[in-house]
Amino acid sequence: MRIRARRVPAGLAALVLGLGCVLVLTWALRQGTARTFTWGEVGRGASGALGLGEGLAGMDQTIWHLRALRALVALAVGGALALSGALLQGLFQNPLASPGVLGVTSGASLGASLALAALGGFGPALGLGGGLVLGPFLVTLGALAGALAVLVPLLLVAGGGARLSVPSLLLAGMAMNALCAGLLAALQSLTLSDFEVARALFAWAFGTLDDRSAAQAGLVWGALLLGGAAAPFVARELDLLAGGEEDAAALGVPVRALRLAVLLLAALLAAAAVAVVGQILFVGLIVPHLVRLVVNGAHRALLPLSALGGGLLVLGADVLQRACLPGVDLRPGVVMSLLGAPFFLALLVARRRELSAW
Amino acid sequence: MVSALELRGLAYAYPGGRAALADVDLALAPGELVCLVGPNGSGKSTLLRLAAGLLAPAAGTVALDGQPLAALAPRARARRIAFVPQALRALPDADVESFVLGGRYAHQPRWLSALAPVRSADRAAMTRALREADVEDLAGRHLDELSHGQYQRVRMARALAQEAPLFLLDEPSAGLDPEHQVQLFLLIERAVAAGRTALVVTHELNLASRFAARCVVLERGRVAAQGTPAEVFRPAVLGAVFGPHLHYGTAAADGPDAERPLVVPWPAPGSGADVR
Repeated sequence: MRIRARRVPAGLAALVLGLGCVLVLTWALRQGTARTFTWGEVGRGASGALGLGEGLAGMDQTIWHLRALRALVALAVGGALALSGALLQGLFQNPLASPGVLGVTSGASLGASLALAALGGFGPALGLGGGLVLGPFLVTLGALAGALAVLVPLLLVAGGGARLSVPSLLLAGMAMNALCAGLLAALQSLTLSDFEVARALFAWAFGTLDDRSAAQAGLVWGALLLGGAAAPFVARELDLLAGGEEDAAALGVPVRALRLAVLLLAALLAAAAVAVVGQILFVGLIVPHLVRLVVNGAHRALLPLSALGGGLLVLGADVLQRACLPGVDLRPGVVMSLLGAPFFLALLVARRRELSAW
Repeated sequence: MVSALELRGLAYAYPGGRAALADVDLALAPGELVCLVGPNGSGKSTLLRLAAGLLAPAAGTVALDGQPLAALAPRARARRIAFVPQALRALPDADVESFVLGGRYAHQPRWLSALAPVRSADRAAMTRALREADVEDLAGRHLDELSHGQYQRVRMARALAQEAPLFLLDEPSAGLDPEHQVQLFLLIERAVAAGRTALVVTHELNLASRFAARCVVLERGRVAAQGTPAEVFRPAVLGAVFGPHLHYGTAAADGPDAERPLVVPWPAPGSGADVR
């Protein structure tokens, strides 16, 4: 018999995570470089937004464009990455699976970088300085295209043959990772002489939450809502996969269709997230593990809680970083790696019994 | 009468080309309990997987009640066949109730949200299955808290919850102590008495002799013999398949089981010499 963590009801966990999201979101609206609102002002602003009062006159720019969009993007990006990771871990029955491992995120990075380089060719500052309205849009499209391009060989591997070999799919992901990394390095070394382009590529690699547009927020929220709506319809099937693909097939699960659907969904989620903020590592990997420590492994709880937890983590890390180091803008990808890696290692050491139970 | 399960001219080759099964003909009448015996590697598990529709045969057909199995969609197939493999790839992180409810998957609507409450029909079938498998008292336990004997019964409960007329069981009593082996076969016998048909792969020759209406002997991918236990469990038949170190007898019990053969591994004195 193995020792398991004490589990809490999924409803309670959802309540706590949901409240946490609201709290951190409020904090993110209140705090910033321009000025920090008093809690009274936050209350007036909230009632104004709900049409119950006069609101905060003249603060729309600060609140909406600088803070709300940033916070909303952070929430949805975290949610999308964590949901993607939870879906993939369930599909592969493998605790190491994540959008990063499959090469989806590096494909998106490559696509975005190609778009940046192409824009740069027409004029260094176009895509970045805001001189061209289409700039960020094209970069986002490039990222989406890159992520989907990586999916094609993965789907060929996953769809070929009656029985999928999970290791071969993971290996195909690693191969795509290596290919994308190689192409990215080639691109970076070729554009090294062009300072603006090289800088843009470099900055992309860290991810950014600055100056996100409403369209970008819409893209990542759209992907998250789509994923969130689809998740309950693959949750039972993912639960049945826990005993292996053959067992699931014997119980009536259409394993091949499930595999394609979940892979596509997870890639879309990760692609949307990476397209909007660049690479943020680790969220897709660790959040489902953290959730699994608290509630039991049924996907009907695991999937939505991972989405909530991922949002809370990315937004919380952003708010915390800006509160602790005001004026310093560490990129979210950097913060995630610096906070996430040691935390996860510590967790592995402290609770290796429960984690090994996967 | 139409057979509940009929394999005709079945052949299968492993990836790589080595033949696993060749020209297998086998038919199960409705309500029959048939045991499939044979040495390790003789193709018993492969035969079961082909019968379950989880592998596609290289040649030949599988028919359920006269209809080709290949025409059935996965969910329809799972409503007709409950397949219990020898071991699951991993132990799911689940409690007994939700694990057994997994057997209801093929009966649930295709687009059922996992967030919807458990349907009362599914809950009733789950409770019934737990009772039939005599594991009601384990309902709230987590799978990793169970003994192997309890776990095997819980897996049988999930198969019962599937409410399929045909059971395909791959060594369900492997690794169990004698009492638990008997309990498991009694459970299968009850399921068959309730109207099911069962094909059971087993190495427990004596339990096969006691419980099976018919036994099929598989050797190197071919049916070497089939018939009642009395017809099959004889030195002339089994000696060629299982080798010389078996001892044959007859159950000393009274009643209808008295004439059932017993077969135990019991090398004659000095046998070690020629083995080495």
